[in-house]
Amino acid sequence: MKQMPPKSAERLLLFFLKEDLVEEVLGDLDEKFFDLLQKKSLKKAKLNYWYQVINYLRPFAFKYFRLNSILGTMIKHNFLISYRMLLKNKMFSAINIGGLAMGMTVTILIALWIRDERSFNKNHEHYDRIVQVLRKDRFDGQTYVNSSMVSKLGIYLEETYPTVFENVATTFYRNQQQFLKVGDRSLERLGYFFSRDAAHLLSLEMVAGRRFNDMQRDAILLSRSLARTLFVGENPVGKNVRFNNSRDLIVSGVYEDLPKNSTFSEMEFIVPIELVYNEDNPATWYNQNTKVYALLNEGVRIMEANNIIKDALSDNIPNEQRITDLLLLPMKDWHLNSTFDDGVRVTSNRVQFIRIYAAIGVFVLILAFINFINLNTARYNNRVKEIGIRKSIGSIRSQLILQFLSESALYSFTSFLISLTISASCLDWFNELSGKDISMPWTYPIFWAVALIFILFSTIVAGAYPAIFLSSFNPIIALKGSIKQGVLSTRFRQGLVVFQFTISIALIIGTITVYNQLQHAKSRPVGYDQSNLITLRGKSEAFFENYDVLRDELKKSGAVVEVASANYPLTNDLGNNDGFALQRTNEVYPITFNTILVTPEYGKATGWEIIAGKDFSRDRVETQNIIISESAAEMMGLKNPLGEVLVPSYNYLGRKRAFTIIGVVKDMIKNSPFARRPKPLMVFANQEALGFVFIRLNPSMDYLRSLPIIEETFNKVLPGYPFNYEFMDDAYQLKFKAEERIGSLATIFSVFAIFISCLGLFGLSAFVVEQRTKEIGIRKVLGASVSNLWNLLSKDFSVLVLIACVIAMPLAAYFLNSWLNTYEYRVAISWWTYILAGLACLLITLATVSIHSLKSSLSNPVEALRSE
Amino acid sequence: MKETKIGDFEETMLLIVGILGKEAYAFKIAEEFEAQTQRSVSIGAVHSTLSRLQDKGFLKSEMGGATAERGGRRKRIFMITAEGHRVLKTSRDFKISLWNQFPAFAEGKLHFLLP
Repeated sequence: MKQMPPKSAERLLLFFLKEDLVEEVLGDLDEKFFDLLQKKSLKKAKLNYWYQVINYLRPFAFKYFRLNSILGTMIKHNFLISYRMLLKNKMFSAINIGGLAMGMTVTILIALWIRDERSFNKNHEHYDRIVQVLRKDRFDGQTYVNSSMVSKLGIYLEETYPTVFENVATTFYRNQQQFLKVGDRSLERLGYFFSRDAAHLLSLEMVAGRRFNDMQRDAILLSRSLARTLFVGENPVGKNVRFNNSRDLIVSGVYEDLPKNSTFSEMEFIVPIELVYNEDNPATWYNQNTKVYALLNEGVRIMEANNIIKDALSDNIPNEQRITDLLLLPMKDWHLNSTFDDGVRVTSNRVQFIRIYAAIGVFVLILAFINFINLNTARYNNRVKEIGIRKSIGSIRSQLILQFLSESALYSFTSFLISLTISASCLDWFNELSGKDISMPWTYPIFWAVALIFILFSTIVAGAYPAIFLSSFNPIIALKGSIKQGVLSTRFRQGLVVFQFTISIALIIGTITVYNQLQHAKSRPVGYDQSNLITLRGKSEAFFENYDVLRDELKKSGAVVEVASANYPLTNDLGNNDGFALQRTNEVYPITFNTILVTPEYGKATGWEIIAGKDFSRDRVETQNIIISESAAEMMGLKNPLGEVLVPSYNYLGRKRAFTIIGVVKDMIKNSPFARRPKPLMVFANQEALGFVFIRLNPSMDYLRSLPIIEETFNKVLPGYPFNYEFMDDAYQLKFKAEERIGSLATIFSVFAIFISCLGLFGLSAFVVEQRTKEIGIRKVLGASVSNLWNLLSKDFSVLVLIACVIAMPLAAYFLNSWLNTYEYRVAISWWTYILAGLACLLITLATVSIHSLKSSLSNPVEALRSE
Repeated sequence: MKETKIGDFEETMLLIVGILGKEAYAFKIAEEFEAQTQRSVSIGAVHSTLSRLQDKGFLKSEMGGATAERGGRRKRIFMITAEGHRVLKTSRDFKISLWNQFPAFAEGKLHFLLP
C-alpha cells in the first residue's frame, strides 16, 4: 500500500479551496499526515487527513464559486426577488409557509414513527440468528399458529439438535409481576423466568457482574434501572434479593436496560426458569405455558433448521386429530410480520397502521403542496407585469421557471426549518401519545441526506406547476395588464380544492369510525361486574396460610362483600388444556379450553352471570364439579350441558377423574375485547387459596373509606405484606390502549389535514374577494343585501365541498371496511357518520370563507369603488 | 470599522505565533496548541483564526521556505504586527487589573507584575 495521503480527500480539498491557499494548506496537511504516519498508523493518518480536509470547509478558505458566474448572479438575484415577494405579501407567505411547515411536521413525525417501528429488536447483536419457535396445529380443516409451548420442548430441542441451535431459551408464556425485597425496600416488578442462556441469546450488555453462572440456581439478573431503585448507591453484585417473600436470590449481574423498541423491553429482571422446573417439578409434555426462543448456529439457514425440527413436537405427543408442525419465526418478523390466518402469514395490524399512517403523511403533505400551487397560480395577476417586463428585456422561459423554482425552494427550506423545530419540540408529547421513545436523529448523515432530498422534492412538486403556468404568458398581452385566466387553470384549481376536502372528509369519517369502534368494544358486556372490584397478587407462604383469616377479617370489616381467588387473573385467557372427552360418547373434543381454578366464592366476588345450573359453594364438595361458559357448551354441541360428565385424557390436577357440569355462565371477556368470542371457559373449584385475589368492595361504602380499612386489615393479618391493588375496570381499560392510540393519532392528523385545507381556502377566498371588490361595491350601491353578497361569495366554495363529500364517502367506506374487517367484534359504519362529517366540513368551509366575504359585504361600498 | 477586540482562542493563537517565531505556520501552531493545552484542534480551525487575525491587522504573513516532508511546498509564516503586540498587552493589562480588584487575591496574596 502506498503511504500517501488519500487521493479522494485531496481532490475534495482542491475542489473547494481558494487557489492562493493551495500550496501552504497542502503542505501543512502533508506534514501532519507524515507526522502521524510515523507516530501512529497509516489508517489513523488517512482518517486524520480526511478530518483535516473537512475542517477546511470554512468560509475563509472557499473559492468564490458563484459570484464570478452569470448563473450565480442570477440565482442570487432570484432569491433576493423571492425574499422581497415573501415580505411583500405577508399573509399569503404566512399561509404558504405555515401550511407547508405543518404538512412537513406531520410527515417528519410519521417518518420517525415508521423508522422506529421498522427498527424493532435491531439492538440485539444476534438479530439475524434469533428465532421464536411456533407451532402450527391442524385439525378440523383449520390451521392455527400458536406460540405457547409445552415446558419440555425447549430442553428437548437444545439436547436433540446441537447442530442446529447454539442456544434454546425457554420462558413463561406470560410473565407476571413478582415481589422483590431488599432490606425494607419492597417492589412489585415484571421479571422473566428464563433459561440461563437467555442473557447470551439476547446479548445483554452487562454493566456489572456477569451473566448467569451455570452452577447457581438462586441467581437473579437485574436491569440497570431496577438495580438503581433496589440498591440505591450500592453495588448490587453478590447481594441478596428476597424473591416473593419465599427465597433469597443472589444478584449475579446487572445489564443495561433494553430499549423500548425491543420485544423484551418490559422485562426488568431475569431469574432462572429452573426455579420453577427442576428435579422436584419436572418440565412436562402437556402443560402449554412457555414460549421458546432459540439462537441458530452460525451458517444455519432458517429454512433448513425448520425442516429438521418440524416434527419434534408430534414425535413426542402423538395426537390423531391434530397434526402439529413446529415453525421457526425469525426475529426480524416478530414485530411486524407475525400474524397468521389459517396458517398463512397475513398483513398484521401493525403493518396496516404503518401503511395507514404513511398514507396520511403523504396526503397531508400533498394538501400543503396544493395550497402552495393554488395560492401562487391564483395570484397570477400580481406577477403578470413583472413577467411581461422580464420577457421583453430578454428573459427566456427557462430562466423564469428557474426564478419561480427558487421562490418555492425558499419557501420549502423555510418551512422545513420551522417544521424541524416544531417536530423536535413536540417530540416528547408525540412519544407519550404513541408510546414510543423516539429522538431526533440529528447525528445521522442519512437523516440530513433525506432532508435535502425532501426539500428538493417539495420544491419541485409544489413549484413546478406555478412555474410553468406563470412563465407561459405572452409578453405583449402581459404588459397590457390583464390576462383572462383560462377556464382550464381555474378548473384545475377547483379540482385541487375538491381533492383537499375529499381527504379531509375521509379523515373525519375515519376518526369518527375509530372512535365508534372503540366505544362499541368498550361497552361490550364483559360477563362479570367490573365496578367495585379490586384485584391483587397473592404471594408468599404467609399469604396462603392466612388466607382464610384474611377473608374472614375483611368480610367482618364491612368494607368488603366477598373475597375469592383464582390461579389466573380476569384479564387474560391463559391456562389452556385440551384432551377432554364426553363420558357418554367417549369422544375427545378437539377443543383447547381455557381452564382456571377458583375458590368457591369466585362467582360471588366477580359477579359472573349464571344462566343455567348453580354456582360453586363452600358447603359442598366441589372437587368433581365444573362450571363452563356458554361458548364452551355451544362448541361441545351440548344443548343441555347440566349433568354431563367430562373426562380428561391425561391426569388433570394430579388425578385422572371425571368432572360433572353443574353450571353454565355467560361468556367472560378475559382476553381481547375485539375477538368474536372468548375462548371456551372451564372452571374448576379449589378449596385452598390461589395466586390472584379478587375483592368485591361494599357498594354502599365510598372506596375512599373502604380501601384504608382493607389495607389496615391486610397489615393486621399479614404484617409487611405490600397492599398493591388494582381496580378491575382500570386493568380492563388497558386492553384498549392500542386502539386509543390510533384514535388520538387519527384525530390529530385529521385536525391537521382540515386545518391545512382551510388555510388554503382562506387564502383563496381572500384572493377571490379582493378580485371582486369593485363588483361588490357596485352590487351594494345597486341594493344587494349583505346576505345576498355572502351567498354569492360563499356559493362557489360550498359546491366544491359538496362534490368532495360525494367522492369521499365511498372511498372512506371502502377503506374503513377493510380496517374494521381486521376486528372480529366490530361496529357497523352508520350513515350518520357520513352526514356528520360532510356537515362538519361544510360548516368549517363556510366559516372560513365567510371571514372574507362578510368583511367585504359589510364594508362601505364607497371604499370599494374608490380602490385603485 | 475594523474589529479590534480579540477572543480567547485568538489571543492564544497570537501568543503561540509569538512563541514559535520563525516556525509559526498553521501546522506547527496547531501542534503547539495541542501540546500546550492537551486539547485537539484541526489545522483548518487554526488557519481560519490566523486568517481572521490577519484581516484584523494583528498578524502579517509571508511565504517561507520549502521542506521535503511537505512535498517541496512552501509554508506561510505568520508574524505578529505592532498592532498585535498592542492588543496582547491591552488584554493582559485588563485581566491583571481585574485580578487585582478581586478581593480574595488582591490583598497581597498574589502579586502581579505590572509592566
